[in-house]
Amino acid sequence: MEANNTTDKNISWLKSGWWLILLVAAGIAAPYVISEFYLLILGEALIMSLFALSFNLLFGHMGQLPFGQAAFYGLGGYGIAMLMTKFQINFWLSFLAGIGLAALAGLIIGIFCVRLRGIYFSILTLAFGQLIFVIIYKWHDFTGGDDGIQGVFPPEFLKTPIAYYYFVLLVFCIAAFILWRITNSPFGYILKAMRENSERTEFLGIPIARYQLTAFVISAAFAGLAGALWAPFYRSVAPSTLMWIKSGEPVMATILGGAGLFFGPVLGTFIITFFHAYILGFTHFWAIIMGTLILIVIFFLPGGILGFIKEKIDNRKKTDQ
Amino acid sequence: MILETKKLVKEFGKLLATNNVSFSVNQGDIHAIIGPNGAGKSTFFNLITGYHLPDSGKVFFKGKEITKLPSYRRCRLGITRSFQITSIYPKLTVYESILMALLSRQRVTLNLFSSAEKYFREEVWSILEDVGLADQAHVNGDSISHGDKKRLELAVTLGTKPELLLLDEPTCGMSPEETESIMAMIKNLVDKKGLTILFTEHDMGVVFGIARRISVLHQGSMIADGTPEEVRASEEVQKVYLGGAA
Repeated sequence: MEANNTTDKNISWLKSGWWLILLVAAGIAAPYVISEFYLLILGEALIMSLFALSFNLLFGHMGQLPFGQAAFYGLGGYGIAMLMTKFQINFWLSFLAGIGLAALAGLIIGIFCVRLRGIYFSILTLAFGQLIFVIIYKWHDFTGGDDGIQGVFPPEFLKTPIAYYYFVLLVFCIAAFILWRITNSPFGYILKAMRENSERTEFLGIPIARYQLTAFVISAAFAGLAGALWAPFYRSVAPSTLMWIKSGEPVMATILGGAGLFFGPVLGTFIITFFHAYILGFTHFWAIIMGTLILIVIFFLPGGILGFIKEKIDNRKKTDQ
Repeated sequence: MILETKKLVKEFGKLLATNNVSFSVNQGDIHAIIGPNGAGKSTFFNLITGYHLPDSGKVFFKGKEITKLPSYRRCRLGITRSFQITSIYPKLTVYESILMALLSRQRVTLNLFSSAEKYFREEVWSILEDVGLADQAHVNGDSISHGDKKRLELAVTLGTKPELLLLDEPTCGMSPEETESIMAMIKNLVDKKGLTILFTEHDMGVVFGIARRISVLHQGSMIADGTPEEVRASEEVQKVYLGGAA
């Protein structure tokens, strides 16, 4: 029985491995196939997907809904932007520092938040997120306030849209792979156990708060990575990147794509980003259409779109047997 | 002596849930705590496992004071528990649930990059065999029968390799056949693995059938402590407890 099961898993891994390889190949070929406009949208979708994956480490895998994720995303962006423009530090160091800044903020905020569960956790993360937003928004002399920071340029060899797109694709693939490994590691399993029953898990000898904090810091670091990718991509950062509306984006993307599956948030982000870019071409009321789509998913596909597809495939496998 | 409490006191508002309880559990014993509803059995359990902290008094495990340690630290020392309302992982498979306990016990849970599936396959299957759940290894926790859920919870606690296992009403809500089989399993575990068991139970048949030592709680105080024969003979116990039931 055990042997059967592992071979089953290997086969399904191979199968899923194939579509992954195809997707990466499509990503590499994209600059030669699609227009520059859609290449920019694709880059944005990848960065936002990474942001959504960082969110889902806490939401889907650990079972807590953080609503201040944009603070870490924005800090990653502000970190790289300020170090480069105000202190003339080189791109790569600023890039790493942006991630470090987000992780540090995650550690400090996390210490307060991980003691809470459910709605209280969400609200406290929202409050801290807005606090960081207000600090950056109001501190005009240092952060540029509502003007934001302009002139955040990537190094010379990454300046063309195609080169930067490849950089984003590479970072996305590496980051997604690391996050995927984490969710399947013993640590990731314990996050699942805490989601399912934290009381039981504590009586297995797990200090719940410390594990939640570790996950919180990892999540903040990856959100910061997404932000640090975004600033040079957009050549600037604005305080809106830290705002609660931004925190809502990964929530919607994850619900749309499916929180229970690793790639659910990626699918959701791609749908939202491309939908937005496409529909904006002929109406400003894109939010109404998007809202309707999300309502439909919540009512009819509670597992998200990817969850629905997986269910169909699993059912077909069962009937085949 | 594996566990000892000295003058434990716990109050909830005006309710004195645990009143000056001093008692001890011997290594390798099957020790029952009985008492009418509201006698303070669950509170007493919670003080031993660190779910609540006492207002005064001390708890010792293998001679080491653990009165103020958090639950997870006590678990690492070798104390774990099951709950009266079965506490399992509804959306994890039976196999995964037991794996969680082993990952925690072997301290590999801070490993971020290796695959969890590769760990402890043999150990998980051996526990599955021990508790008779091997044929349901890949079924979700919420899809198995009530009796099997109790077995699963027991299996998960065994995964932490405890020395002292506290079972809160292990046969609660079970059919007589299920009760008999789970008690036989517990007895087997004590003999085979050298576990010490401390349990509460409503079913007096079970208590007198398996316990080697019995302590009786009444309104937060311990009114008797001894072998099943001694407890059965105690007049005070008969007055407050057995008298009504028998």
